[in-house]
Amino acid sequence: MSVTQEAGSLAPSGARAAGDRSHIARLTIFGLACLLVLVSLFSLTSGASDASVVDLARASLSGELEISARDRVIIYDIRLPRVALGILIGAALAVSGAVMQGLFRNPLADPGLVGVSAGAGLGAISIIVLGGTALGPVVALFGIYALPFAAFLGGLATTLLLYKVATRRGQTSVATMLLAGIALGAMAGAFSGVLVYLADDNQLRDLTFWGLGSLAGATWAKILAAGPIIALALVASPFLARGLNALALGEGAAHHLGVPIQRLKNIAIVAVAAATGASVAVSGGIGFVGIVVPHLLRLSIGPDHRYLLPASALLGSSLLLLADAVSRTIVAPAELPIGIVTAAVGAPFFLWILLRRRGVLDL
Amino acid sequence: MIEARNVHVSLGGRPILHGIDFAAKAGEITAIVGPNGSGKSTFLKTLSGELDSMGEINFDGKDLRSMKPWQAASLRAVLPQATSLSFPFTVREIVRIGLMGGRSGVKGRDLETLPDRALATVDLSGFAGRHYQELSGGEQQRVQLARVLCQVWEPVLDGQPRFLFLDEPVSSLDIKHQLVIMDVAHDYARRGGGVIAVLHDLNLTAMYADRIMMMHKGRVAASGAPAELLTDELIEDVFDCRLRVGVAPSGRTPFVLPQSIRI
Repeated sequence: MSVTQEAGSLAPSGARAAGDRSHIARLTIFGLACLLVLVSLFSLTSGASDASVVDLARASLSGELEISARDRVIIYDIRLPRVALGILIGAALAVSGAVMQGLFRNPLADPGLVGVSAGAGLGAISIIVLGGTALGPVVALFGIYALPFAAFLGGLATTLLLYKVATRRGQTSVATMLLAGIALGAMAGAFSGVLVYLADDNQLRDLTFWGLGSLAGATWAKILAAGPIIALALVASPFLARGLNALALGEGAAHHLGVPIQRLKNIAIVAVAAATGASVAVSGGIGFVGIVVPHLLRLSIGPDHRYLLPASALLGSSLLLLADAVSRTIVAPAELPIGIVTAAVGAPFFLWILLRRRGVLDL
Repeated sequence: MIEARNVHVSLGGRPILHGIDFAAKAGEITAIVGPNGSGKSTFLKTLSGELDSMGEINFDGKDLRSMKPWQAASLRAVLPQATSLSFPFTVREIVRIGLMGGRSGVKGRDLETLPDRALATVDLSGFAGRHYQELSGGEQQRVQLARVLCQVWEPVLDGQPRFLFLDEPVSSLDIKHQLVIMDVAHDYARRGGGVIAVLHDLNLTAMYADRIMMMHKGRVAASGAPAELLTDELIEDVFDCRLRVGVAPSGRTPFVLPQSIRI
């Protein structure tokens, strides 16, 4: 970042005031929205079949009935739900990462890294394995929402525990947070292991399929189950933005600025747990989106959450759709689970962040 | 007018403040001085509502504890001792956070340039585009003061005087910027606002404070105007060292000359 000493003169006539990145942020958000449209169209048109959205649109508009029923099914029932789910999950993962980082005042906090996804996974596995027996009444009561709701509860419990352990007098220790995250993740993993051990063959197949993290098998039913919960969390996040900006200065400073700290934290924790839980419930563990996306954006538009949160949602969606495209094509006609793709790209990126921030990690 | 009566505070079960009585008027700088660990910062945190306490704390007769966070935030702004950040904010972005409550008292086009004026006030013109994390400790402290000033820029808003709470505002500053910051505080008080500052430098205190509260082991050792409070006997007693109090060549403000640790 170039620095101009003269740029901060009292009346910045015409030119943008130094240190003000809001115009870059708005442009970036606009650009990311366009990118998402392009990536979505690309995802809709690419795939093993040569069904074409353009043909379908042309046919629908002109009232022709020539388009084959097969293409209609491929686009409406296979590709469109998959794209919609990718957008939802990508946004959920990226925004929950950004909110969690703001809450912990720490760029390394990510639901996947600190055990929240594992906790949500435990909730989901409980329903998959025990849904027919011990947890039958829960499934009967919540219907299709049982799975995402259980994952939400698992994520919520983990986030609350993590916050209690890692935060003392408003200060979060990076080391404590990461170590507590490892412990919580291991605990959730152990309980999940017990459940897997109890599972029958059918359930095992479900679990394996789900656990690797994938957008395959996206259906409108899944979107209906997870969509409202994710949408709620996404809608809540802009209301957290100013509070999270103030919180970046410390809990005391945020209080002095008039932020109702406890309410801010409660909403943030519930939003993170909801978004993480719902996405884990429908697509398993897809890692690193929540850490890579906000970090990339902070480099370009800065950490102001008013812009960071919507930009994260847009970039998270685009990146997940691209990762999904890679996962579908790299070993075509077979499919690689998307979690493998995001981890293969995200883990080295995470190491790069660590290298860059080594000096300031012990804040 | 900020008043505290019989304030007790315990941290982790250990009593820190034992019955503090305190008053600070608008239009004045009230300094809180005392040795390390005497409870100065704890008391300021209590006044700002950050710590739970027993006893009364009133802002113009209204109970502090019954106020919503945003109500308190429009009556006073607080400069903490040090602020570290883990996100790469620019200086302008930090200063602008001070405007989030919308109670600066500045409107329209002037609001746009307020961060620049606040930065100029603390002698940081031209720093708006810099990254906060790259600044020195003293510069960061001044950026935070600019943010705090933005929060309550007009010392009096709708007839209501407002207060700056400054926790060791000059401790990491060079001598010129100590004067710059104390002049900012002085100007704020002159224009009708109130300033409550925790200070270590007794000479700066003597120069700028209208009233002093001297604390010792969680109690008020003495309070009053600088000229009556700054005496050899009292300071030697509270700070536990040998020193001389003289009168500056200007003939008005006392000065304190340390001599040795008491035997």
